[in-house]
Amino acid sequence: MISGLVTQEDVSGRLSLECGVVIVGSGAGGATVAAELAGAGVDVIVIEEGGYHPTESFSAGTVRALRTLYRDGGGGMAVGRPSVLYTEGRCVGGSTVVNGGMSWRTPDRVRQRWAEQEGLRAFGEQDLDPYFTAIESRLSVGLQDPETIGRDSELFRAGAQGLGWAVVPNRRNQLHCAGTNNCSNGCPTGAKQSMLVTSVPRALALGARLFADCRVDRITRAGDGVTGVTGHFVRPGGRRGPGLTVRARAVVVAGGAIQTPSLLARSGLRSASGQLGRNLSVHPNAVVTAFFDQDVTGWQGVHQAFQVREFADEGLLLTATNLTPPMLAALVPAHGRELGELMADYNRIVTAGPLVSDTGTGRVRQLPGLGPQVFYQLTDHDAARVARGVELTAEALFSAGARRVLLPFGGAPVVRDPAGLRRVLARPVAKRSLQLFSIHLMGTARMSEDPRRGVTGSFGEFHGLPGLIVADASLFPGPVGINPMETVIALAMRNARRLVERRDSYRV
Amino acid sequence: MAGPSSAPTPAPGTPAGREPAAEVPFRRAARRFAEVVCPPEVRAGRRVDEVLREFGLMLGSLPPAARKALAAALVLLDQGARLYPPSRGRRFARLDDQAAGAYVRAVLARRDPAAELIGRLRSLVTMCYYELPEVQREIGYDPAPYIAAVSRRRLESYGPDIRAGEAAVTARPERDTP
Repeated sequence: MISGLVTQEDVSGRLSLECGVVIVGSGAGGATVAAELAGAGVDVIVIEEGGYHPTESFSAGTVRALRTLYRDGGGGMAVGRPSVLYTEGRCVGGSTVVNGGMSWRTPDRVRQRWAEQEGLRAFGEQDLDPYFTAIESRLSVGLQDPETIGRDSELFRAGAQGLGWAVVPNRRNQLHCAGTNNCSNGCPTGAKQSMLVTSVPRALALGARLFADCRVDRITRAGDGVTGVTGHFVRPGGRRGPGLTVRARAVVVAGGAIQTPSLLARSGLRSASGQLGRNLSVHPNAVVTAFFDQDVTGWQGVHQAFQVREFADEGLLLTATNLTPPMLAALVPAHGRELGELMADYNRIVTAGPLVSDTGTGRVRQLPGLGPQVFYQLTDHDAARVARGVELTAEALFSAGARRVLLPFGGAPVVRDPAGLRRVLARPVAKRSLQLFSIHLMGTARMSEDPRRGVTGSFGEFHGLPGLIVADASLFPGPVGINPMETVIALAMRNARRLVERRDSYRV
Repeated sequence: MAGPSSAPTPAPGTPAGREPAAEVPFRRAARRFAEVVCPPEVRAGRRVDEVLREFGLMLGSLPPAARKALAAALVLLDQGARLYPPSRGRRFARLDDQAAGAYVRAVLARRDPAAELIGRLRSLVTMCYYELPEVQREIGYDPAPYIAAVSRRRLESYGPDIRAGEAAVTARPERDTP
C-alpha cells in the first residue's frame, strides 16, 4: 500500500473530493507539476487513466507491456496517406515509463524560433537553463556507463563514423542503467528515472494524492473559471466503475498531445484561435532492418546509445534501436516461411532509422462515440526527407558491414549493397508506400502570447479561462526536432512555478 | 459525452492468464490466418492455440471500434476468398495451405484500406507468435537470465550511488532550482 495512491480496487462507490489543484495525467508533465506544487504545500490530486504498475511487475513481455502500459495496445493510428502508427503510454508515469529515456534540452534554434514566432515571455536561454539544470540533477541525466552499450549501437556508430559523420552519445535519465534493453516494456531495474520512480513518489511523499485507473470525462466550469473535473474509475475489462468528482480551484491538463485537446474539446472548450487540436507534429520514424554475418545480439545493451547528428540541419536524426522479436515481426513486411527465415537471424540484425522533424501537421478531432481520432498528412517535403533518412541509415549500416537491408517502403526489394540502394532510390519513393510510426506527439494546444494564434499563453494558461493550465507536449508551437521529454518537463516545471507564484490569485 | 474508455486496465501483477481477453471473433478464420501468416513451426504442439490466446488478450486491450474493425477484417478475409478464382468459391478457412497462402499474398499486395487493415491483423498475429517464450528461445532471444545478470552487476558496481539516488527522490524540495 503506497500512501496517497488509490486504484480502482480501493474504490467501491462514488467519490467526491476537494483540493487546490487537480492534475489530469501523471506523465512527464503531470507528475512534474504534482511534485512542484506538492513541494510548495499546495493540496494536489492527480488523476491517471492507466494503472499503477510498479517496477517489480515489469518483464520482457512485449505484448503484455503493450496491453498494460500503452493506450489501445500501442496501436494508435493517425489516418492519412500514409497512415502513421503511434503509441502513447497509459499508466502511472505515462510515456516516461515506456520511452527510451533520451534527455535533451530544447535546441537553441528551436527555442528561439518558438519565442519569436509566438512572442513567448521569459523564454530566453537564461530563463530556461535553470529548469534544465534542475531536471537533469533530479532525474540523473547523463551518459551511459560504457559496459552497458550493446553491439548494435557500436556497429551503427562505427558505420556512421566510418563515413565521417558526427555521432553523439545519448544523454538519458538513468541511474546507472543496467542495459537491459527493456525500456519500452518498463525498466525492470528502476534505473530509468521515469516519473514512476521519481516525481510520482516525490509528489506522494510531499502529500499529493493519486487516483489511478480513473478516466476524466470533463472539466467542469462555473462563470468565468474552472471548478474541477468529473470522471469515472475503469474496472478490469474496461467496465465502467464508480464516478469521481473533484472540486478544485485550478485544473492542470497533462494528457499528452492527443488526449489533452480531446478532453478540452469534450468539455465544451473552444479556443478563439481555432487551433485547439491542430498543429499536430509527429516526428515520423521509419525502420531499416540490416543483417550482419556475425552475431550482434542487439538486445544485450542499452535501448539506444548514440545519435547521428550529422544531418541535424536537415531535420534528421539517425539512431539504432533494438526491437524485440514481437515488435520486429510486426514491422517487417513478411509472413509465413519468409518471416520465419528472417527471424531466425534475429541475433544478427540491427534495426536503425531516421527521425524527421516534420513540416506537415495533423489534427486531433473528438468524434462522438469514438473518442479522439487523429489525422495526419505527410508533406511531399517530409516524405522526401524520410526517404533520404532511410538512405543515410542504410549507408551507415552497409559501412558497418551489413550484408543486406530491408527498407521501410512497401514492395521494396531486399538491398545488398550501396549501389543497389542507390538504384532503388533513384526513382521517387511513393509517399503512400512509406511505413511510418511515431512516438513523439506534439503541438495540439500550442502556446502563444497572441490568443489569435495559440490555445494557451506563455505559461500554459488557456486563453480566456483562468485556472486552466496545460502542461504537456501539446504546448509545443512546432516539432522540437529531438526527443521531447526534457522540454516537456521543463515547461511543466515552469508552468507549475508560475502557478505557485500566483497562488493567491488562484486561492490555492 | 466522453468517448469510450479505450482499453481495460488489468490490476498490477495480474497473472497473464487472468487478464481480460476478448473472444476471438470468427475463430476458424483466425486460426487459419495464424497458420498462414506465422512461420510453419506454428503448427507444432499447441502453438496456434497459444497465439490465439495472446491475440484474444490483445483484442481485449483495444477500444471497441478497433475490435470491430479487426473482426470486420477477418470476415472480409474469410468471405472475400470466395471471389478469389483459385479458391473455387470456398471461404478462406476452408482453403488448403497453398491456396490460402497465395490468397493472403494477393490481398496484402493490394494498396487499399482493406489490405491495410488485414496487414494490421497480420502484424498483430505475428507479434503474438513471437511473444511465445519457446519461439523466442528458438531464435536465440532469452532475455530473463540476461536481465538478471546485468541487474546484479549494476547493484554490485554502483550500489551506494544507486541507494543515494533513490533516497534523494523523496527528499524535501531542493534549494538549487529556479
